[in-house]
Amino acid sequence: MPNEAGDAYGLTALCPIKIGDDQKCSFASLTRAYLQQMQETRADEDSPMASVPNTYLCRFFVLDNVNYQGKPAVLDSLKSPYLVFVAELHGDRDTYLEGMWKRAEPMIREVWKHCVGFGSVVTAEHFVNYIVRCQVETTLYFNGSTDDPLREQLKALYLQQEFSKFAFASTRKSAEDLQRDFRSFVARTRPHDVARPTWRAGASDLANVVVSGDESENS
Amino acid sequence: MSNIAGKAFAMNLITPIERKQVKWNKVAFWLLTPSKPRNFLNWFTKRLGPRFDFAAKLNGLITLSMIHYARWVIVKPEEWPHLGTEQPREDPAYAYQLFFSNFNGSWAQYVDSFSAGIPEGLDGLWNKNVGWPTSVPQGPFHDYVRHNEVWTNYYYSAYPMAASNDIKSSKRLRNELLDFIDRSEKMGAKEFQREYHKLLSSLQGNPNPDFTAEEKFPCLGQMAPTPIVSLASVAVRRARVEIRSVEEVHDAE
Repeated sequence: MPNEAGDAYGLTALCPIKIGDDQKCSFASLTRAYLQQMQETRADEDSPMASVPNTYLCRFFVLDNVNYQGKPAVLDSLKSPYLVFVAELHGDRDTYLEGMWKRAEPMIREVWKHCVGFGSVVTAEHFVNYIVRCQVETTLYFNGSTDDPLREQLKALYLQQEFSKFAFASTRKSAEDLQRDFRSFVARTRPHDVARPTWRAGASDLANVVVSGDESENS
Repeated sequence: MSNIAGKAFAMNLITPIERKQVKWNKVAFWLLTPSKPRNFLNWFTKRLGPRFDFAAKLNGLITLSMIHYARWVIVKPEEWPHLGTEQPREDPAYAYQLFFSNFNGSWAQYVDSFSAGIPEGLDGLWNKNVGWPTSVPQGPFHDYVRHNEVWTNYYYSAYPMAASNDIKSSKRLRNELLDFIDRSEKMGAKEFQREYHKLLSSLQGNPNPDFTAEEKFPCLGQMAPTPIVSLASVAVRRARVEIRSVEEVHDAE
């Protein structure tokens, strides 16, 4: 399957936006304005996408039209604007989309509300079917990262950060102290436990990045 | 608009291809995708000369090591989604190649790395796209990318403080650490210290040419936000500062 690179999945959906306006602004502009407002008012860890399991990275943009390449190219154009949704995710597409509906339904309703045919989407199953109808198949997918579940990636990043701190702080310790402190480090960081402590999905600040042992994390 | 989510930069490039060219470009992309039959075919074509060594053309992408994920999607005129009578059916003159990349670094670093690192591969990937100027010289190539790039309106990364290399190296660190925890459980203090130092040495990376690319790469280091973490975070901080100043004015009154 060209949409997949190992367990990583590249989802591309071109969702047609209705032609028309709300008497002040075109539906395409309203969609764009909502997306930009979402970007400008919420930190990454507060993004609705941070609660959607297994989202590595994702983006939305409005494609108004294609560009003219100049003579001798033909002047080409699209008949509808499109909401383009591009996600890099782990695992199965349908499970991912169901999880997205479950965790981010209010955002989905706002983002897609001006898209053709979205009015009849009222359940997770409808949403999956809708995105599948809008999906275009990847021709070549390149994975320059890993295809592990997001929880494992975040746990590994947490451990890298914590173990680096531990190593720098332990350079001149006696063998006995080193062994004792390493055991405390393992008890605190729980390297086998991917759930916690770990890194918070979407966190862009060292002060907020660690999910402690008492908190639960969705992704 | 935002093309930045921490250390990740989103690029969207949409370029036209002549309809008759699509099947040939799809074959070229197929040859670049690793799989057993394709590996066999690549083994065969490689013997025809470097020009036909299709798989090697992507090697530079791996060496560049600044990409999280990237994809090429060729959309034929009849493949634009059509969801009913409310939407006019598309009938563009060209097929379109959609390129989406998530990379680390700035736009210029990325575009120039491609152009300098894999110029031939780049010309192959955009083979006969309408208006494609070739990847060298860089001036016309930059102009072409700028002209066809579409800005992202919302971009999210699950790990804004991590680069693609951090994700890969942290996986290796966790695996080695888990192995060390199991191995060291019954060790005495002196043996533990010796093995711990071996672990650190291995995780610091080894530039020896006999080591694999993974083993050469250092796995220890501290991640931190980039100077501008993301447009979103900057906006949130600005809003918080504004709210605080308004509250302070009210308190003073």
